Amino acid sequence: MVKKKCVACILAGGKGSRLNDLTKDLAKPAVPFGGKYRIIDFTLSNCTNSGIDTVGVLTQYQPLLLNSYIGIGSAWDLDLKDGGVTVLPPYSESSEVKWYTGTASAIFQNLNYLKQYQPDYVLILSGDHIYKMNYENMLEYHKEKDADVTISLIEVPWEEATRFGIMNTDKDMRIIEFEEKPANPKNNLASMGIYIFSWNILKEYLEIDAENPDSSHDFGKDIIPLLLETQKKLFAYPFKGYWKDVGTIQSLWEANMDLLKEDCELDLFDDKWKVYSVNPNRPPQYISPDAIIKESVINEGCTVDGEIDHSVLFHGVSIGKDSVVKDSVVMPDVMIGTGCFIEKAIVPCDLTIPDGTVIRSFDNEIILVTKEMLDGLYPAY
Amino acid sequence: MKRKLLGIIDATTYHEDLEDLLTHRSLAALPFAGRFRIIDFVLSNMVNSGIGSVAIFPKMQYRSLMDHLGSGKNWGLNRKRDGLFFFPSAIVDSEYNRIGSFDLFAANMDYFYRSTQEYAIISNCFTVFNIDFAPILDWHIRSGCDITEVRRQDGSSLELYLLKTSLLLNLIETRDQTGYSCMRDVVHDMYHGHSICHYDYQGYAVMIDSIKDYFSTSMNLLKPEVWKNLFLPEQPILTKVKDEPPTKYVKGSFVKNAMIANGCLIRGAVENSIVSRGVKIGKGTVLKNCIIMQKCQIEDNCYLDSVILDKDVKVEAGTSLIGTAQAPYVVQKGTKQGALMNS
Repeated sequence: MVKKKCVACILAGGKGSRLNDLTKDLAKPAVPFGGKYRIIDFTLSNCTNSGIDTVGVLTQYQPLLLNSYIGIGSAWDLDLKDGGVTVLPPYSESSEVKWYTGTASAIFQNLNYLKQYQPDYVLILSGDHIYKMNYENMLEYHKEKDADVTISLIEVPWEEATRFGIMNTDKDMRIIEFEEKPANPKNNLASMGIYIFSWNILKEYLEIDAENPDSSHDFGKDIIPLLLETQKKLFAYPFKGYWKDVGTIQSLWEANMDLLKEDCELDLFDDKWKVYSVNPNRPPQYISPDAIIKESVINEGCTVDGEIDHSVLFHGVSIGKDSVVKDSVVMPDVMIGTGCFIEKAIVPCDLTIPDGTVIRSFDNEIILVTKEMLDGLYPAY
Repeated sequence: MKRKLLGIIDATTYHEDLEDLLTHRSLAALPFAGRFRIIDFVLSNMVNSGIGSVAIFPKMQYRSLMDHLGSGKNWGLNRKRDGLFFFPSAIVDSEYNRIGSFDLFAANMDYFYRSTQEYAIISNCFTVFNIDFAPILDWHIRSGCDITEVRRQDGSSLELYLLKTSLLLNLIETRDQTGYSCMRDVVHDMYHGHSICHYDYQGYAVMIDSIKDYFSTSMNLLKPEVWKNLFLPEQPILTKVKDEPPTKYVKGSFVKNAMIANGCLIRGAVENSIVSRGVKIGKGTVLKNCIIMQKCQIEDNCYLDSVILDKDVKVEAGTSLIGTAQAPYVVQKGTKQGALMNS
């Protein structure tokens, strides 16, 4: 096996329980976003754009769609002779199946995957976040600082700091303290769940952690505190730019709405940093003579006969005459009949909305449309 | 079907009436319907009909065609066995500009010798249609004819021929003795003893051979009865995929009766038009009855009516360009149009 300088591992086993029914049969990294993408596209594209060509994707929860979506990685130019994408599901060893119980245990169980490339550095990523980042710059920083571990941080609003893992640093950006969801945060620099480990340190600490029966085998809760305790060199890498953890229906909706702004911080039109995804190969969108389009993002294969106001339409969506879709996200291959009114909603893939359906929120909460909800509105005869 | 029918696409055709759009590319690579090239239609039809071995015979200016087809991956034709074959013509200037030139095939006889498919279909590269060849092959076999020519509803030839591969080989090998230089010569002659049949195709099929046709066929795509016949979900027209974001309609934009591909940024007004991938349309700009090809940039406050912009054209702010349906205003690839140029 060819030696690789840096190998990435993407943790993609998350359930995303706060996304409710949207992640019932779908891992969170596979949740559709932005009219075309799935959330994991951003991390995979970051890897390929950063020149990292060896990527392990650790899947566990509802992996069917995610595995087939990733395939051999050709969509991200990661179908390579040496390296490329490898999907790493949990496996059984002699007597027992070892589920990934925490982020650290997931990597620990795949040490053999990493060993075969004899990497100098391992980049640990989450498949749950929407952002564009050059990991190569972070790796340079890690080398400059001669760090054992580098953790990427982002400034979050003070009032939200209590929800994150907060890092306190000295003036050199060396991390001196880590607090998981602190009640009284000392600063507002939150961990993005992106780590670069020097390989020997990663191996050593994962092995120590695996032996500890009291550990929850989590990077944030167990590995990082242990590294700090033993005086290892942990550095903070400050990241500036768009970064979103779309953990809830509300935040998923907001992130989609962000794309409609004319000066959206997340630039999907940048030719130098393309966000790659599996392209559906559909005909161009058809906007009929009766359609009205206002401030929206629309993907190929859509046919619009109605009014689309401040919304995101994924590929293959059809909107019937006299229907209005407002402030909503409509996922792939949804068929909306005629005379419907849909406001502040997320409509998941493949749903058919019968003619005349009205879906609107009265308490400003975003509605996740479900098949059950539609069946309730239109009982079968 | 993979083992039964061989697909052969003659991509050597050049139409003088399309000259302005063909200076940088062959007819097969002519952009069409916002995201396709004309050859995508016949190539996808072959793949959707289950054909697993397709040979393309191009001539001159085939850089854009080769770039488009690549390994054939987008059509599922990057196979270990069979797949996509590309046979550029060694003959730079041949007298004949007819579909299925035997001289052309003769230069690549090994392909025909090595293929095990019993039947072959020979097609032109410039017909816009969505057709399943499987029933036509069945019809051809049942009819017991030696050669089937597929025709349109109006009786004109679609320049699409089915025959046994062995007969094709025979026609190529004996071309000097028989004097038949292409498939058309054979079907038009009565004295060779081969039985010729005609299959009448009832569906939508248009052969593009002039700018006027190109323009009107494009405009007809905006009719639901036409695009619904062309873009069938179960028989998709495949093309080279690009990683463009979805199209963004900025506040204040206005769009009606249009076919718009991905990666566009629309600030102005678009009506009765076809807009390709990655086009930027500025504020206050109005497009009517236009065909805009890939990556064009139209700045603010322009007015374009009945215009074809080839790829990578930049139209500077305040420019007005007006053509007619009979003679659309064509702007060549990669050029710049300024406000003062036409005043």
